[in-house]
Amino acid sequence: MGVEELLSQFGGKYAQAFRMTWRLTILAFSIALVLGVAVTVLRVSPIKPLRLFGDIYVQIFRNIPGASLLIILVYAFPYLNLVWSYFTCVLIAAGLIPSAFCSEYLMSGINTIPIGQIEAARSIGMTFTQMITKVVIPQALRASVLPLTNLLVSTMLTTAIASQVPLNPQELTGLVAYINTHAVGGVTAFFISAALYCASAVVIGRIGSLIDRKVRIRR
Amino acid sequence: MEKKNKMQDQLPVIELKHVDKHYGQLHVLKDINLTVRRGEVVVIIGPSGSGKSTLCRTINRLETIDSGEILITGEPLPKEGKDLARLRARVGMVFQSFNLFAHKTILDNVTLGPTDVLRVPKAKAREEAMQLLKRVGVDSQAAKLPAKLSGGQQQRVAIARSLAMHPEAILFDEPTSALDPEMIGEVLEVMTELAQEGMTMVMVTHEMNFARRVADRVIFMDAGSIIEENSPDEFFDHPATQRAKDFLNSIKDH
Amino acid sequence: MRDARTNIRDALYEEPGPITKRYTAVGTAISLAALAVLAAAVVRQFYINGQLAPRYWTIFFRWTTWRFLGQGLLGTLRAAAMAGVVTFILGFILMTGRICNYRILRLIATAIIDFVRGVPTLLFIYFFFLVLPQLGIRLDAFWKVTLPVGISACGVVAEVLRSGVNAVPIGQKEAAYSLGMRETGIFLKVVFPQAIRYVIPALISELVIVVKDTTFAYVVNFPDLMQNAKVLISNYDAMLSVYLVVAVIYILINFLLNRLSDTIAKQRPRTLAAAELKGPTA
Repeated sequence: MGVEELLSQFGGKYAQAFRMTWRLTILAFSIALVLGVAVTVLRVSPIKPLRLFGDIYVQIFRNIPGASLLIILVYAFPYLNLVWSYFTCVLIAAGLIPSAFCSEYLMSGINTIPIGQIEAARSIGMTFTQMITKVVIPQALRASVLPLTNLLVSTMLTTAIASQVPLNPQELTGLVAYINTHAVGGVTAFFISAALYCASAVVIGRIGSLIDRKVRIRR
Repeated sequence: MEKKNKMQDQLPVIELKHVDKHYGQLHVLKDINLTVRRGEVVVIIGPSGSGKSTLCRTINRLETIDSGEILITGEPLPKEGKDLARLRARVGMVFQSFNLFAHKTILDNVTLGPTDVLRVPKAKAREEAMQLLKRVGVDSQAAKLPAKLSGGQQQRVAIARSLAMHPEAILFDEPTSALDPEMIGEVLEVMTELAQEGMTMVMVTHEMNFARRVADRVIFMDAGSIIEENSPDEFFDHPATQRAKDFLNSIKDH
Repeated sequence: MRDARTNIRDALYEEPGPITKRYTAVGTAISLAALAVLAAAVVRQFYINGQLAPRYWTIFFRWTTWRFLGQGLLGTLRAAAMAGVVTFILGFILMTGRICNYRILRLIATAIIDFVRGVPTLLFIYFFFLVLPQLGIRLDAFWKVTLPVGISACGVVAEVLRSGVNAVPIGQKEAAYSLGMRETGIFLKVVFPQAIRYVIPALISELVIVVKDTTFAYVVNFPDLMQNAKVLISNYDAMLSVYLVVAVIYILINFLLNRLSDTIAKQRPRTLAAAELKGPTA
């Protein structure tokens, strides 16, 4: 099937799928950011059990395969009387996994700050809160722009797990599977989705490095 | 001599009484007693590992102590919280590695303390910061980030940052040790001026000529104790103890 | 004479005074209680839904269960190892393209790297599973997993290898030139072996992503850990317990791989952390 034929038949579906992928990506990434920040707060808190909890959380979700997590949410959790829509399950899985990486990036962002600057902040009489808000967080965020940009891209790639459940409308990966089981979409169907993913990734990457260049601290 | 007598009448700015500190088994500060009066310049010297840096850092509680007492202008140094922050704001600190805030411009490095800790209005803080930067000779760099400056310039900014808080005293923890030789002079010059203007200063340094020229008093430390305490001329010309003699000989070799 | 604390996590806090110590103690007590409540709620949820029933868990005391899971795990490891080989070979080729002297080859290599990094593994799997057969290409299930997983990871591997090559000091190359070696020889015998040593931790981390991606093997019916878990589930009707145990196995494998990567990185301070390059893929 040629591009034109394919688009005339499935063009609307591609548009829907593209929107779906982006919708999942934005929502999952937002979840990842909120949870990632929250877990990072736990991990740098002075309270040992919370630190440990945060560390374990990160180890679980950075190491669990997306398919495994999604299958548990969709097929196993109903046995615990926890039944969520497919969309919600995909969102949780595609949010939890990047949240662990988000926390790792924020932690290494914090780690780029020389300890001497913390001492300097103390020695000019800053309170703990002032030190955190004026010295630690601004620098950690600047150092995290590029990793978080890459995280946004990989969150988008993670949302492809949605193809494993019947979602309506489908996202880009699910649509390729759908087209190929209903028609002879062939290589073209694959490449249209791939091109849409790639274009998104390139745009995200460009914007990310633009921001990074503005805020990155050269030491 | 006259200056010295005058100093006896001045109030103590920093007092350490029977200060002890351990790192695990290591006894790093042994019964330290030290009084620094207003306007006095005290230089602490000693071999590496003698505890001189640790001593300097205990004065604004960057290092805690196990026992003893530290007073700043007669007030005991609080153990934590806002009170500690308030007292720290009154004692400046200049570090070996400058420790400028890497994400802030030179000007903002100097104004951050005044605006956020002392609640000075922004415009006033800026104006004063520019004066200070001029005084240390880096006003032309005010809009740059620290990484763009040489080590010597960064250290002078760090001194300006301390001065902006109008401190009762400034602590210098080996301020020239991380600098390339050609930059040491410019930093020492600023410090000499400060001393002449009557700033109370405690400094840990390896610059013996500078110590001799500027110090009112030299403290020699070894293995966590103050071994000798004397005027610079007396100390450098007639060290009383064998350990001080050995130390002075060892640095002459270099 | 500084504190032994080098970790910024600890450096954020000062030596606590008496008030801070009290707050921390109270906070610790409250958080322990909260975590206990959380754990209790989880156990309760299992209990009231009958998921603590022995029949779901006693299967893990049977040798046959573990043998079967072990076979699946072996499949996973076999697929991951082959995908690792595939991704390394492709990554190496792309890397040489990326650093070669011909502009056109550099552009092609860059385009391919960007392409594979921007496309989800699952889409590649569907390409091998659904598209290739339409073109008359029939592959074994094993290759339908390992090739797409390998292709999907090779872009990052190429970039990791390139950063390793760039990290080799220029003097090494100059020394080799002065011995009369030629370009290719220098690269293969002097530069690349050193580059590899720098990036071993990053390559191991990438292996984690490969292991994770092999879980999609069930899509093409390759008997890996996931696939065998499914069989186990239909035999014993124990969905939750089996999937949880399998997830724990995956987490442990990847955790150990990450540990290995960190340990090597710590032992060799000159190794490069490719934190900015690696990211999660499902």
